[in-house]
Amino acid sequence: MMNIKNVAYFFREAFTSLTRNRLLSIATVSTMVICVLLLGIAVLMTINAGSFINRLESDIEIIVFLDNSMTSTQIVDMKTTIEKQDGVKSVVFVSREQALQNLQKKFADKNYDLGKTVGKNPLPDSYEVKAKNPQNVGALAEQIKKMPGVYKVNYGQGLVERLFQVTKWVRIISIGFIVVLALGAVFLIATTIRLAIFARRKEIYLMKLIGATDWFVRWPFFIEGILLGSVGALISILLLSVGYGSLLNNMQTALFFIPLVNKPNLLFNVYLSLLGTGVLLGALGTYISLNRFLDV
Amino acid sequence: MLVQFYNVSKVYKNGVKALNDISLKIDRGEFIFLMGSSGAGKSTLIKMLFREEVPTRGQIFIASRSIVRMKRSEVPQLRRNMGVVFQDFKLLENKTVAENIAFAMKVVGCKTRDIPPRTTEVIQMVGLKGKENSFPGQLSGGEQQRIGIARAIANRPLLLIADEPSGNLDMDTAREIMELLYDINRKGTTVVMATHARELVKNARKRIITLEAGQILSDQNSLES
Repeated sequence: MMNIKNVAYFFREAFTSLTRNRLLSIATVSTMVICVLLLGIAVLMTINAGSFINRLESDIEIIVFLDNSMTSTQIVDMKTTIEKQDGVKSVVFVSREQALQNLQKKFADKNYDLGKTVGKNPLPDSYEVKAKNPQNVGALAEQIKKMPGVYKVNYGQGLVERLFQVTKWVRIISIGFIVVLALGAVFLIATTIRLAIFARRKEIYLMKLIGATDWFVRWPFFIEGILLGSVGALISILLLSVGYGSLLNNMQTALFFIPLVNKPNLLFNVYLSLLGTGVLLGALGTYISLNRFLDV
Repeated sequence: MLVQFYNVSKVYKNGVKALNDISLKIDRGEFIFLMGSSGAGKSTLIKMLFREEVPTRGQIFIASRSIVRMKRSEVPQLRRNMGVVFQDFKLLENKTVAENIAFAMKVVGCKTRDIPPRTTEVIQMVGLKGKENSFPGQLSGGEQQRIGIARAIANRPLLLIADEPSGNLDMDTAREIMELLYDINRKGTTVVMATHARELVKNARKRIITLEAGQILSDQNSLES
């Protein structure tokens, strides 16, 4: 495929072409910057939406209110029974005293004694059950409800189902968005590169008639496409990291209730894959545009 | 036998019938004029010689190899045995005379150290000595075509194909180009030249194949007519 003695020639040709067609090079890099930037924004948004959704979903729990007539042994036995159910992640006991305290905390005013007002504690003992897969809480709650000694089961019926509808669509739409964006980027870049190749179609035709192999013609264009792709990707990664960094700084103080993903490892991987995407887009765009002209 | 056409027909995708049942043979060392008005099928026939087009029906052998059954990956090797000269020269404007010729040798994988001496040699053969470092745009049409010819013979082809090489040149320059092609032919290279300039062909004493409407109208030595 690539003859070693030609490597220097291929790189020289690629660089000559880059500087000779400066305007087209700039156009290609700009297109690349915009495409990768949009892709990067979409990916970061998807990641953040995903982490937000995960957090929401992991907050979902089933509260199992117990019958007041249960003895303490029965209550302990019940815990093991629930834990044996399929798909249960954790079971935490909340005594009626604890429940009252929690309620007191919610009514933030510390001078107000809830216990005194209601007199006898009206709250039952309860278990807080978390499912391994939050999507299963409905079915799990139904099972627990049938157990003897269960007074009531509460998991935000109706609301949870609706939340999952929303999160399902957020996931589908964001992945669809990224796919469409990536396809658009390939098309856009292929078109820009086609312009650069079109300007040199006579040279390509000539090379083919003299007896150049397809790969001999291809390599300089490939190197050019990959270089343009990586330069474009690097610029957009720079813009993206600066932009996201300042967003992190400002959001954390101003909009603390929207937690942004800030894992250096994850972000590094995102940026690295964007660079890879740039290289791939450059190579793919060149391949698509070039083949038509090689058919001599 | 260098070239053999057996009942070759070509119908383009748009329905145009370019060649209709052509059979012909070309020996090594021959010089052949291919004549006919535009649309007669000259260009199609020429393009088949270097396999830019393949026949719709029939068979073509070049140096005993079928170009119809040839794989795409084998085409470069076929073309390395040929030199092509174009009516519009097809020179690279941003490369000098010497670079244009060296480029053609580089493309086909010549050893780097063999390129400069051969370049000097062919530049001398076509009479462009002293113009090695000029750019095509600085030279006359005749000189540009000499670069085209030098490039075509640089790789020592078996077959030199010239498609209206003098079409863009005045008569005196055209005759000079003809002399150059005869000279190359005398040194052993087979030459096929498409033209419609009767003045050039008249007294040439060469084989003339005349095409009309995709068929061979006549195939004779110019002295017989």
